[in-house]
Amino acid sequence: MSTSAAEHLARGAAGRHPELPETTSGTIRLDLREGGRTEHWYLSIDRQDVRVARSAEEADLVVHADREVFDRIAAGHLHLAAAVLRNDISAQGNLQLLMTLRRIFPGPPGARHPRDVAGSPHRPVAR
Amino acid sequence: MKQELVSVLAGNAFAMGDAQGDMEAHPCAPIGLFSFDTRFLSRWILTVDGERLHSLSRDDLTYYETRYVLVPGAASHYVDADVSVIRHRSVGEAFHEQITVLNHSAEPADFIVRMEIGSDFADTAEIRHPAPRRPVATADSEQRELRIRYRRGRFTRETRVSSTAPVEVDQQGMTFRIRVDPNGAWHTELHVRMIIQGAGERDLRSDIEAHRQQVRRSMRDDLDRWLDQAPQLVAERQPLAAAYRQALTDLAALRYTPLAYAERVPVGGLPWAMTLYGRDALITCLETLPFTPELTPPTLRMLALAQGGQLDDYHDEEPGKILGELRYGEAAAFDEEPTALYYGAADTTPLFVVLLDEYERWSGDADLVRQLRHPARMALNWLTEYGDPYGDGYLRYQPRNTVNGLANQTWRNSPEAIVDRHGVEPPFPRATAELQGYAYDARIRGARLARECWDDPEYAERLEADAARLRERFNRDFWLPQRGYYALALTPDGEPVDALTSALGHLLWSGIVEPERADSLAAHLCGPDLFSGWGVRTYAEGQRPYNPVGAHLGAVWPSDNALVAAGLRRYGYDAEAARIAAGVLGVAETLGGSVPEVIAGYPRRVTKYPVQLPAAGRPQSWASGGLLMLVAVMLGLRPCGDNLLVDPAIPAGYGRIELLDVPGRWGRADSYGRERDSRRRLRAGTRDAA
Repeated sequence: MSTSAAEHLARGAAGRHPELPETTSGTIRLDLREGGRTEHWYLSIDRQDVRVARSAEEADLVVHADREVFDRIAAGHLHLAAAVLRNDISAQGNLQLLMTLRRIFPGPPGARHPRDVAGSPHRPVAR
Repeated sequence: MKQELVSVLAGNAFAMGDAQGDMEAHPCAPIGLFSFDTRFLSRWILTVDGERLHSLSRDDLTYYETRYVLVPGAASHYVDADVSVIRHRSVGEAFHEQITVLNHSAEPADFIVRMEIGSDFADTAEIRHPAPRRPVATADSEQRELRIRYRRGRFTRETRVSSTAPVEVDQQGMTFRIRVDPNGAWHTELHVRMIIQGAGERDLRSDIEAHRQQVRRSMRDDLDRWLDQAPQLVAERQPLAAAYRQALTDLAALRYTPLAYAERVPVGGLPWAMTLYGRDALITCLETLPFTPELTPPTLRMLALAQGGQLDDYHDEEPGKILGELRYGEAAAFDEEPTALYYGAADTTPLFVVLLDEYERWSGDADLVRQLRHPARMALNWLTEYGDPYGDGYLRYQPRNTVNGLANQTWRNSPEAIVDRHGVEPPFPRATAELQGYAYDARIRGARLARECWDDPEYAERLEADAARLRERFNRDFWLPQRGYYALALTPDGEPVDALTSALGHLLWSGIVEPERADSLAAHLCGPDLFSGWGVRTYAEGQRPYNPVGAHLGAVWPSDNALVAAGLRRYGYDAEAARIAAGVLGVAETLGGSVPEVIAGYPRRVTKYPVQLPAAGRPQSWASGGLLMLVAVMLGLRPCGDNLLVDPAIPAGYGRIELLDVPGRWGRADSYGRERDSRRRLRAGTRDAA
C-alpha cells in the first residue's frame, strides 16, 4: 500500500531536509483537487527546514493538480517534471521552486543504489 | 535527402528546410519547424499557380533570419520569368514568413499562391519513425487563421498560422487568389505560433507585432551586444577572424531559456541536440570563460537547480548527480524516454565543480561560489557515495536504465566507444580514464573553494587526501609501461582496457598525470596514429576497432581537441599544442562557416579536405566554444591572482594575433602573441613529431 500525498505531506515532508540547497527559501501551496473540492497544503521552506500546514494563503508557487496525480507523485510512480510536461500539474508563481518541490517527494520505490547494481568485483581490489 | 538543408534558429527553436524554403518531413533529418522538442510544422510548401518554386539566391541574414528569392518552375525555364517571389523568414518565440510576389510584366497578372500547411507534432526523439497522430485542424477564413491542435490527455500542442492578407483557409493550407499590378508587388505575412499548454504555463504565443519587435530590435540588439562584449580578435590571418566571429555568433544563437527558468543557457546544437545537455553546456562554459563568461553563472545555477535528489533507476538519478539531458517533448512527458530529467552521465558531476572553480579564478565572483556551496558539496559527495560503487576510489558508471538509458555515460557515448585494442568491450561498471582525471581535478579544485570561499579547511584537507590517493592509484593501475600511455579504462576486475585514445589529452588537462610520463603522452598525441593532421583522433589508427568515420573510434572532435591542446600546454608542450590548434583551426578555415561537431579521422595528407560526417551537427556549442578555447590556448591565457597571464605559442602561419578586452577579475585586459621562429627547443625524451 503506497503512501498518499496527504499522508506524505502530513508525516513525511515536514522537518529538516539536508538534501535541499541551503539558499532556497519560499512558500509553496499545493491545491489537491478532488471532485468539486480542493484541499490546500502549505509548505514553508526556510533553507533546509520545511514546515507543513493546511492553509489556502497565497504562496510564492501555487501548484494545482488532481489528488490522484499528487498521490502518484507521493508514491514515486510519477515524475514531477513529467507531470508538469504532461500538463497534469499546473503551476503559477516562482517556477524554480518546482525543482525544490521535486526533492520533497520521494523517488520511485525499489530504486537501487549503484553499489547494489555493481555487485562486487570478481577479485578483491586493494584499498 | 540530397539537397542542401537551410536553417534558421534561435535558442531551442529552429526551422529547417530546403534551399527554396519549403519544409517537408523526412525520416533522415529533423525537417520542419521545431520548438521545445516538438515539430510544429512538418509541411510548409509554397506554390504559385500550382508550381513549386526554384531558388535564384538566398541571403542568410543572421542565424535567425533568411531571405529566399525564387521563381516558379524548374531551373531550365526560369530565365524569362515575369514573376518572382521573395520569402523572408525569421524564428524567435514564433516563426514568421513574409511572402512577396512581384509581377515584372507590363500587364496586371492573376496568381494563385498556395501554402500547404501541416503538422505531425512529432517528438525530436522519433524523427525516423514519427508516431501516427491525429491532430485536429480548424480552418477559419474569416479570422485568416489555421489552427492545428494535438491532444493526449491534458498534454496539448498547437500550431496557429495566421495571415495578414485576406485568404481562403482549408484544413491543409492557405490559398491566396491575387491580382498584382504591372510592375507591382503583393505581400502577406504568415505568422506561426507554437503553443505549449502547461509546462509551467509558458505559452509560446506571441503576436505578430511582438515578434517583429523581438526580431528587429531585441534579437538584433542582443546579437550586437553579445559580439560587442566579447573580446575583439585582431588577426593577420583573415580566415581566423571570420571563424572567430562565426563561433561567437553560433554561441549567441544556441542559447535558450529552459521552462521554469529565467536565464539563458547553451543548448547542445543543431539539429539533434537543441536542448540542455549537462556535459555540452559545462564544456562550452569551460571553453568560453575568457570570451563570454556570462554563459557560466546561469548554467551552473540551472544545473544546481536540477541536481539529482533521489535514487531513480529509470532516470539514472542519484542524489548530487548533475543532469545529463533535459527535454520537453511528448516522449519525455509520458516517460517513453527518460529525458524529462535524465542523469545518465558520469562526468557532469565532477565537471560542475571544475567549472565553478575555473569560473571563480577568471571572474573573482566568490559570491556565486558561496551561493552554490551546497550543490557543489553534494556533487563532491556524489563522487564517493554513488560514483564509486566498489569503494576503491575509482569513478565508475553502469546504466541502471538498460532499456533506453545510455550505455556509455561519458562524452564517448556511442554504444561501442569503450573497447580495447582488439575490440573487446569491458563489462560494467566501467572506470574510464578521463573520469578519474575529472574526479581528481574536482577534488583539488573543491579543496581550494573550501579553503578560500567556504571557510572549511578540514574539508579541503579531506578532499586533497582523497585526490592524492586517487592520483597515486590511477598512476599505478592505468599506466601501461610497455606502451607508454594510460589505459582507456579499467574493467571491474581491475584489468586495463588497453586502447590508445585522445583521453590522454584530457588526463593532461586534469593534471592527474605524473610529469615524467607527460613526454610519452605528448608524443602519442602528436604521433601519426592519433594525429590526423586536422586534429587528434578519438581512437588511434592501428588498433582493430579503428574507423575513421566512427564517432568515438577514430573521428576528430574539435571540442575534444580543445581540451587536449589545453592539457598539452598545461604540461609545457607548447609546440604540440600549437600544432593541434593549427590543425583544428585549419578545419574551420577550410570549411568556412561554423565549426562542425566532428570530422572523419582520415589523414589530412590523403583527403586534403576535412571530410564531414553526415550525422555531425553544425553549429554545436562545444565545437564553436572549442574554437575560442584554441585561440586562448595559443595565446596562453590564464588568470593568476588578479592578473591575466599571457604566454603565447602561436603556430606557424598565424603571424600576429591580438585579443583585446579579455574580461575577468582584472576588468578588461589585452593580450598579444606572434609566431616565433619555427625551430623549437627539444625536450629530453620528446620524440620530434613535426
